[in-house]
Amino acid sequence: MRKNFLFKLVTVAALTAVFATGCASGKAEREGGGEKVVNVYSARHYDVDKQLYEKFTEETGIRVNVIEGNAQELIERIKREGESTPADLFITVDGGILNSAKTAGILQPIESETIDSQVPSHLRDKDNHWIGLSTRARVIVYAKDRVDPGELSTYEDLASDKWKGRLLVRSSTHLYNQSLVASLIALNGEEQTREWAKGIAANLARDPEGGDRDQAKAVVAGVGDVAIMNSYYVGHLAASENPEEVKVAESIGVFFPNQETTGTHINISGAGLIRHSKNKANAIRLIEFLTSEESQATFSSANFEFPVNPKAELPELLKSWGEFQTQQIDFAVLGDNNAKAVEIMNEAGWK
Amino acid sequence: MPLPDRFRIAELARQPKGWTTVSLLSAAILLLPILSVLWSGLRPANENWAHIRQYMLWDHVLPTIRLAVCAGAAAGMLGVALAWLVAAHDFPLRRLLRWALALPLAIPPYIAAYTYSNMLSYTGIVQQTLRGMGVRANQAWFDIMSEPGAVFIFTMFLYPYVFLITRAYLERSGGSYVENARLLGRSGLPLFFRVVLPISRPALAGGVTLVAYETLTDYGVVNYYGVQTLTIAIFKTWFGMYDIDSATRLGAWFLAGILGVVVLERLLRRRRRYSETTGRGTPLKAVRLTGAKAALATGACLLVLAVAFLIPVAQLAQWTGWTHGTFAVRSEFGRLAGNTLKASLAATAIILAVSVVVANTARSARGAFGAALARLVTAGYAVPGPIIAIGVLSLFIALDRLLAPLYAGMGTGSAPLVLSLSLAMLIAGYVVRFMATGYNAVEAGFERIGTKYAEASRTLGAGVTRTFFRVDLPMLRGSLLGGAALTFVEIAKELPLTMLLRPFNFDTLATKAYQYAGDERIYQAAAPSLLIIGIGLASVFLLNHLAGSGQK
Repeated sequence: MRKNFLFKLVTVAALTAVFATGCASGKAEREGGGEKVVNVYSARHYDVDKQLYEKFTEETGIRVNVIEGNAQELIERIKREGESTPADLFITVDGGILNSAKTAGILQPIESETIDSQVPSHLRDKDNHWIGLSTRARVIVYAKDRVDPGELSTYEDLASDKWKGRLLVRSSTHLYNQSLVASLIALNGEEQTREWAKGIAANLARDPEGGDRDQAKAVVAGVGDVAIMNSYYVGHLAASENPEEVKVAESIGVFFPNQETTGTHINISGAGLIRHSKNKANAIRLIEFLTSEESQATFSSANFEFPVNPKAELPELLKSWGEFQTQQIDFAVLGDNNAKAVEIMNEAGWK
Repeated sequence: MPLPDRFRIAELARQPKGWTTVSLLSAAILLLPILSVLWSGLRPANENWAHIRQYMLWDHVLPTIRLAVCAGAAAGMLGVALAWLVAAHDFPLRRLLRWALALPLAIPPYIAAYTYSNMLSYTGIVQQTLRGMGVRANQAWFDIMSEPGAVFIFTMFLYPYVFLITRAYLERSGGSYVENARLLGRSGLPLFFRVVLPISRPALAGGVTLVAYETLTDYGVVNYYGVQTLTIAIFKTWFGMYDIDSATRLGAWFLAGILGVVVLERLLRRRRRYSETTGRGTPLKAVRLTGAKAALATGACLLVLAVAFLIPVAQLAQWTGWTHGTFAVRSEFGRLAGNTLKASLAATAIILAVSVVVANTARSARGAFGAALARLVTAGYAVPGPIIAIGVLSLFIALDRLLAPLYAGMGTGSAPLVLSLSLAMLIAGYVVRFMATGYNAVEAGFERIGTKYAEASRTLGAGVTRTFFRVDLPMLRGSLLGGAALTFVEIAKELPLTMLLRPFNFDTLATKAYQYAGDERIYQAAAPSLLIIGIGLASVFLLNHLAGSGQK
């Protein structure tokens, strides 16, 4: 009895295994067949991206296949796949990473007049190896009831003594902070940035923990007075299903730092064309579609990101923040400085 | 005529060579990705290494050890205490709690971490209620996002490893020891500390090892709570300094350290083997508790169950309600669950098959060879997922290159990558990573049976293979099913491997949950999280049902 049962179990298990593997390998994506496809490796994973891909397929008949993953891991995968890679597009958040994909030699120039007309040149790679899709600003948020926005001025100022025990920011593990520090290295030099990072670490109201939203909540809860965070999380808080989070969004003010000086730091999402792409024309068509006025407005309204296409309509919340100056530095520099930024934060004790 | 034939087969099977060959072969395949990681530790270091050593290594080593030791000890104590309580005592709701206390296993720790921190945050239900009552709460009271907070999460959501293994052990074989101790007048705490703890050591060690590994290789919880472990250092190096070589190097040292500790523990333990003297281990008889003691036992178990399962699930259910209307991909749930099941089942089946073969070889080999073999095939569990993933990826791409002429001959068109774009790669990754959960269960099963039955069977003339199928396998049934359920749940929750090794358009419930949670959209993550928990529950139920029917 028992033995019988066990044999059945093992047989069923083994058959399932063989069947599942067999099915899957039979279904491996083949490009160049009858069907029109574009294969995307993406480190951006928002529902809105998916909706736009579906719309693209409806309009053009080109199917979009996606592997989502972490940006650095995907770069590594493309590198190892070499010439045989099925990937056509690499999509990720952060100019520094896009640049590291470029220097890894896995991208190639994108030639399209439509794209050039839709995306201003400072939001594209200088050799057009990648094209920006959207941006977010690294802003300062403050408790409306305790902080006079007149007190706020620059990122640099946040390291001064007046913010001792009042500042909140997430851990240095996160890309947003690494990218900000990388930009400051480019603008102020390594020595000054080292001092600045020490000042930030010394001013923190608590050890870094949680994500960007948690910093906003901590400001409202009174743990600290000001926080460095990403603009699009403010939008997500305001649109939250939890009325308490909406209250948090209402209790904080958004301040765009460095308006009189070097401009506010922005983070860019972008798409790069893979050097060994087998569906190049389709890939370029997808970028054209994603940077069109209509798609850009969708990105912005669904995800509270700033569009790269200046003609795209902004949602009310983003409109209410008004125009602002952004840092004018080449995104490639952020990639070059990223490792240095990590080192500086480690040394400063910014956890 | 049939007689000589049968003799010849028996003769062949008596040679354990076949088993050893198969074991070594599977071990070699499993080891390739792991060895490629270890190998990188020996390559010359680059210029970042000095910085890593000076500023990162010790700052990350100490919290890592603290976290693993604290979580391992806490989960171990909780798991053994609960196992002892439900295995050896009778109190109200015991039958329900006996299996319900395993449920927290179905909740991925990172989901639990997000859920608890959100519940306790300024906008969460706890502080909201307090504010409603006019209490202005100090934020420090609710600060779960810290090292102690991480210990809490790992303890509450990983203790079932210890609980399940120890409970099964005590129920099946603890009887003779405990009865004798009771006859000799031991009871209460002395009985627990002097008898139960020592005899549960193999089970406890197996469970605690799993907890420690999970803690060491976790990324989700420690990253969100800001605990600076070695895994964080590895990712900072790779994703922040763009230096995969130094990251793998860190991973290699990390792995070498863990292997060292584990092999040492094995060697120390080897001298103490517990094997019953009187045939089959005696099942434990439960002592009825009454009055305050019974109430206390029920209360304690219910408290643990509430904190580790009921409260987070209720909270996730509420959040799912909030997002019900807006959730765009509800229609995809069937597909996501199907993908999760398909990949998890396939990998679980392979893991168990390999575990049984290798464990059977390792136990007859004994000695250092057996121990080394066992540790090596399960080493994948001690390596952070992404590092394993890169090893597996390289292996499959190399394999595809090797097979390219074959593909061309088969006329698969212009597709040069076949295997590395198939589900086979992901399943292989799971197998390398999760051998330990299946293997430990099978090994514990073999240890429980001891070698006496097999020896008796061999003495009576049956070969290794025949003995295995006729004697060992039927006795292993319980352990196999236990191992299968554990492994299955583990894989269904898995994240980093799935992210990197999946084929095109292959989402699982875990990747979906992470997609939202990673973007701090915990309310949207609630629905897929609940489904993962649901699948885990199904497997725990199955396990319980089978174990229940097998007992009597």
